Amino acid sequence: MDSSSDSDADSSSQNSSTSTATPQQHAFEKRADGVKAPKSDINALILDYLTMEGYPKAAAKFCKEANLQPQQSDSSIQRRQDIQYAIHSGNIHTAISALNDLDPEILDTDPKLHFSLLRLQLVELIRECNDTDVTRAIDFATDNLAPRAAANKDFLNDLEQTMALIIFPHDNLQPELARLLSSDLRRTTAIKVNEAILMRENRRREAAIRQLVRMRTWAETSGRSQKKDVPETLELGLNTDGNEYGETSAEPMIMT
Amino acid sequence: MTNPYQQQQQQHNRSNFDSLASGRLPPLSTRRPSYASVVSGSPSAQARPARSGGFSHLLNPSPTAEPPAGPESTTQNPRFDTSMSYPYGGTSNEDGSYRDGQDGGASASAWPPRIGTGFPYFSRAFDLYMNKDPLLVDDLTGPGDYRFPSVAPNPNISETGFLAPSYLRDSVYLQKLEEKHKAKVLAERDGAVNSDGNNTSLKSAPSSSSLSSRPAANRNSGHLPTIGTKAAGSSHRGVAYDVVERPTPAPKEADDGLSPLPSGWNRDDKEASLDILGDGYEVRHTGRPMSDHEASSIRANHYMPPACGVYYYEITILGGRQDKVNNKTPPIAIGFASTEASLSRAPGWEPDSWGYHGDDGHSFASQNVGKPYAEIFGVGDTVGCLVNFRLNHALYTKNGRELAVAFKDIPFKDIRGNIYPIVGLKKKEDHILANFGQRPFMFDIDGYMARQRDAVADQIRKTDASKLVPGLSETELIQQLVLQFLQHDGYVETARAFAEELYSEKEALRLDPEETIQGISIRDDEDANNRQRIRRAVLEGDIDRAMKYTESHYPTVLRENERVYFRLRCRKFIEMIRKEAEHNMLLEEQRRRSHTNGNSAIDSDDEEMLEAEAANGDDDMDTAMAEEGDDVHGTNSPPALSKLSHEALVYGIELQAEFAGDTRRETTAALDEVASLLAYPNPLKVKEVAHLLDGSGRVAVAEELNSAILTSLGKSSRAALENVYAQTCVLLEDLRKDGGDGAFVTVDGIIRSIPSPKLR
Repeated sequence: MDSSSDSDADSSSQNSSTSTATPQQHAFEKRADGVKAPKSDINALILDYLTMEGYPKAAAKFCKEANLQPQQSDSSIQRRQDIQYAIHSGNIHTAISALNDLDPEILDTDPKLHFSLLRLQLVELIRECNDTDVTRAIDFATDNLAPRAAANKDFLNDLEQTMALIIFPHDNLQPELARLLSSDLRRTTAIKVNEAILMRENRRREAAIRQLVRMRTWAETSGRSQKKDVPETLELGLNTDGNEYGETSAEPMIMT
Repeated sequence: MTNPYQQQQQQHNRSNFDSLASGRLPPLSTRRPSYASVVSGSPSAQARPARSGGFSHLLNPSPTAEPPAGPESTTQNPRFDTSMSYPYGGTSNEDGSYRDGQDGGASASAWPPRIGTGFPYFSRAFDLYMNKDPLLVDDLTGPGDYRFPSVAPNPNISETGFLAPSYLRDSVYLQKLEEKHKAKVLAERDGAVNSDGNNTSLKSAPSSSSLSSRPAANRNSGHLPTIGTKAAGSSHRGVAYDVVERPTPAPKEADDGLSPLPSGWNRDDKEASLDILGDGYEVRHTGRPMSDHEASSIRANHYMPPACGVYYYEITILGGRQDKVNNKTPPIAIGFASTEASLSRAPGWEPDSWGYHGDDGHSFASQNVGKPYAEIFGVGDTVGCLVNFRLNHALYTKNGRELAVAFKDIPFKDIRGNIYPIVGLKKKEDHILANFGQRPFMFDIDGYMARQRDAVADQIRKTDASKLVPGLSETELIQQLVLQFLQHDGYVETARAFAEELYSEKEALRLDPEETIQGISIRDDEDANNRQRIRRAVLEGDIDRAMKYTESHYPTVLRENERVYFRLRCRKFIEMIRKEAEHNMLLEEQRRRSHTNGNSAIDSDDEEMLEAEAANGDDDMDTAMAEEGDDVHGTNSPPALSKLSHEALVYGIELQAEFAGDTRRETTAALDEVASLLAYPNPLKVKEVAHLLDGSGRVAVAEELNSAILTSLGKSSRAALENVYAQTCVLLEDLRKDGGDGAFVTVDGIIRSIPSPKLR
């Protein structure tokens, strides 16, 4: 690797993103530079994220590399990850039985969560049968979802919407119906399940980094609306080092 | 003169000890002796020491108690009754019914008072109790004057006089105030010997050290004009008179925006007919005549800092004459006002002044005409004033109950200056006592504050973070932030594992098997690997290896970053000491074991080590370090210093020599600090220095070195996640200046929610 040219390229890209763009550093940036962001805090955020959101291998490596003690045992992260993986891959039945193994009471105490899972399972059945044989999906809905939906209006709406998928051809759906068939539903359901497990385990719902990112967004919006002295653009510096690292990170990686 | 109460005291002695046991009263020595000023400043005031109040019920534990035998007792007795509940925020009514402030006023007639429960018989409270002075006598007051003791125990004031009201404990503002206070206390301890009395308005007056070390009895008798004390106490009166403690007259605030919280009434900011009693919390009208539309007001010593978000204080009406003809409560008013508002007018009547009046229950918003607001209040009631800077409104509480919002859309921005707590009294004997947070409030302000925090936290929770970087959802953004941080800081293995896990997640989510998934390739980045290797070495305590790698991969870094170089060199010394200390601990352990086993066979090397260790303890290694290395083997030292400690010593001398020319305070301080490690036989066991050996020091050095390398490569020394952190801190700082939403949340609060990860 030609390190000299590399670092040249890098320093110029950095200049363009900070000093060149705003020749005089905004007072805000100076203040931000003065803020200590202790590595211990950042490391805690990272480990918390990897643990809470279920990245067991990364969490274990990070503990090793940063000399930290694990927040949770590998196996407990792994168990949550297995369930998430099953949901992501559409194996809802597997996910439900793994969830019951992990915590037999979790679904009983949270009918909403249980319904979300069953409904996702219905969506997956509809996806599988794909216009040919819908009886399995209809049977499943009749047996498992209908009794629950009868007692709850929200559930009923959700069920009706999902059943519409059986009627309409999948290649030309209204956006809200199309969304049910996209991977978003799997992802959001997986997040809900993970949060429910975490709540029962340690009473924290989500990783602290999510709150930080939201707080950052909120604080900027509030600051601007209150006419605080905030620079026009407030760069996170997410891509300034882009070329230096992974090949794809020059552009935001799209994860969907 | 004999003490007419003594008898009774003894009589109730035993029965009260048990109930005294919970120890709610803070140590007496921390109390601020400002009675002196009361005595000297306003002889007619007849203030009694606050503390006495806490025990007043001991003298007269039940309303039905027989009046003590004694000439004055019959007339005094009614007042005893009413003063009983006081110290803990409870109030009593004329009929003797009782409210316990700590229970939010719910229990209407708790008897005997729960207050003052709490001392083991051997505690200092006992001294006080055994003190023969009658505590609560007063010859001045007329009927209806509720003589509450002026200073109840103030659990929210620290020993050094720092006021920390419970509801502000999580606020950044209070944390900053406390830092400032601590720095000041330290500076004063280091510095002027003479001025130790005046460092804060709350701290003891100069003679207090001698006073406070004495049994409380002296203080009482000296400062209190009480019956029966005259003979016993007069000898101390002289001392007391010298101690004219003035509350700090609202000092010109330093421009750091960190004004102290209001902590007492301001002697220099009151109408002349008012007297401040006790420790500065009590105000009473002397009865000097005034024209009819005037009132007498007094402001607190400091303004309500908007950056707190919410400010709250309470007053309790101790005395005031009921208007028998119109059956009206005394015209007492409570509120907030700027310094522009005239003090000869009632709060609320003037521009920049807002008040709630007890005689008619009206609220006045900067004008003569009031609006019906809430019920009237009078003697025995506790009324609180709450200013919410976030919502720009103010409301009141009565006896712990929240009343409606009194003033909406307060134009804080248009007020000249800041707003202060203010009360207005009108008639002779009108008498109030304020709680500026030194004691628990009657109102559940902590709960109110929590609701404010939740409201802001809720806004944040509902924020859509996908706005932050267009095109990235919250989840994607976080994944990128984490990945970029891992790569930026050289956590190569973690980055790779994380990328793999993200890939398999994407794969699972893939609906169309034809779709190709773009992997995140963590390039085998030479540079990241190097930095990771260097970090590893530092974290393992192998400074030599770290420096060797740094030299070979980034030859300019150590030359150009003298500070980092110096820190590495110091750390190496620390690691040597640490290694030796650990070794010695091990040997000690072995020796102990062999002793208990009766096994005396320790091999000769170990013996040598142990002797060396013992010798280290006696030697003054600081001087040894400054001397020639050979002197170490001089007559005073045992010939066989362990190899480890010898090496450390030699290295330490080298280190001192290398940086001898550097006279910067930072450098010399650091050198002195590490050198001090040599002074202990086993620094790991000495808590003053053990922290120097702590593993967290490695992390700090490793990160500093990593940043230096990144900077030398022209890269940002901060990852995006660190920018997020820092930017959020600054944004919040701006948002909390005027008491807005930012006053209710902190980045630190988020970090603290994480179970703290420990270093291995």
